[in-house]
Amino acid sequence: MEPESLRTDDCIDNVVRFYSDMVYRLAFSQMRNKSDADDIFQEVFLRYINKHPHFESEEHRKAWLIRVTINCTKKIWASSWSKKTAPLDDTIIFELSEENDLNYELQKLPKKYRAVIHLFYYEDLSITEISEILKQKPSTVRTQLTRARRKLKEILKEDYDV
Amino acid sequence: MFREKYNHMNKQIYPSPELVNKTISSATSTVSSKKQHKLLFRKPIIIVAVLTICIFTTLPILAARIPSVYELMYYLSPNVAQFFMPVQKSCEDNGIKLEVVATYIHEDKAEIYITMQDLTGDRIDETTDLYDSYSINRPFNSSATCQLIGYEDTTKTATFLISMTEWGNKNITGDKITFSVREFISGKHVYDQIPLDIDLSTIRVASETKEVEIIGGGGNFEKFLSDEDTSNVLLPSQPMNFPVEGIDFTGIGYVDDMLHIQIGVTNPLNKDNHGFFTLKNKKGNEIKCDYNVAFTHTSDDGERINYMEYVFDISQAEIEQYSLLGDFVTSGLFTKGNWQVTFPLESDK
Repeated sequence: MEPESLRTDDCIDNVVRFYSDMVYRLAFSQMRNKSDADDIFQEVFLRYINKHPHFESEEHRKAWLIRVTINCTKKIWASSWSKKTAPLDDTIIFELSEENDLNYELQKLPKKYRAVIHLFYYEDLSITEISEILKQKPSTVRTQLTRARRKLKEILKEDYDV
Repeated sequence: MFREKYNHMNKQIYPSPELVNKTISSATSTVSSKKQHKLLFRKPIIIVAVLTICIFTTLPILAARIPSVYELMYYLSPNVAQFFMPVQKSCEDNGIKLEVVATYIHEDKAEIYITMQDLTGDRIDETTDLYDSYSINRPFNSSATCQLIGYEDTTKTATFLISMTEWGNKNITGDKITFSVREFISGKHVYDQIPLDIDLSTIRVASETKEVEIIGGGGNFEKFLSDEDTSNVLLPSQPMNFPVEGIDFTGIGYVDDMLHIQIGVTNPLNKDNHGFFTLKNKKGNEIKCDYNVAFTHTSDDGERINYMEYVFDISQAEIEQYSLLGDFVTSGLFTKGNWQVTFPLESDK
């Protein structure tokens, strides 16, 4: 999923619209509920607006937004408020019942594995690209991905070829 | 299969138009208020000028003289920290001199030659190893390695090559980097395939094992870990008779039908003692371990021991046909200091 050129000269309106789905899907993949994904979505773009970072390429901008989204989710997980509260049951209703089941099962995936799974399977990023974005060693990402797949196989039983 | 389902599911996830519009409208108001702030601060330009002079005159001194200031600056912004670091191509501490002797910069790659010379003793030798005690601070994303490439006995000088590649195919010229070393080990001793005097036909099922948290390993060790990253290992015994000084032989026995061999290194942080085992029969056939796992133990008086357990897939019926050999590396000298050089990434003419 190569980012196309925005041709916007950093116009915030266009950046938010172009990356809105990517940021929101990543946020949802981490939190698996809409209200937290909404909060993270706003927080990410607020940081973008306040910092107004300069990027030399769209890949760089995309990587920055992914990293900030992950950081925002970690901030929510780390907050004492989040530790003491149960998430609202405001998830998304999907078209197919098996997708609703999959969404339910994915809530069982440990939080530490959710980012690598989403970036690898949905954003189609390689292990090297994920390690660069998350600022982790490729070996660490490879280990996380292996363990995440093992965990997914356990969770999803024989339903999917992970 | 999973990928297709996951992707189809994700296509149905998107922010509501209200959320997007709200975010964009708050962006617009934030940007205009930021512009107002800029206007307010434009007038007292003299304050900015004075502050700038103070920063430019004091920060390089602070950054160079006080490591914690530099580290804090580097943590906050590698660009700023490297900008303020003054160029210093050689330094001396604890009787050892660190010096940048040559640089070769081309496109997104840099090759830097650095020497370490012992001016007072014999601590630098051909086995000098900076292991993981060195750091290469640079104001850009890159991969970098440092390796020993030569040793001059008459001057007791070791030469290291730092190879660096900036990510994204960018031109690397123009930035400054800081190379620092805190400690190194030398006086390495290499044991190559030494026979170990252990009668393998006497090895039985281990009488005592314990579940420990694994901190690393080799081979496909992850397959053998529990969900909590623990594994069942031999209970470490008192060190047995072993020909390698600096490595303790602390156990051998069968666990879950696999042969486990365990060694320990006391106070591992100031040495890099390690090794591995091989089983060899009379025909010369060799068996390497299937995997190995590492775990650590710190005693009540603060002494740390790193254990490594090697696991072989060989049955008790077959083991008597084999003998045990070992390859080990130990280090005799551990030297600490504070060596740091900063230099611009420009090719020597």
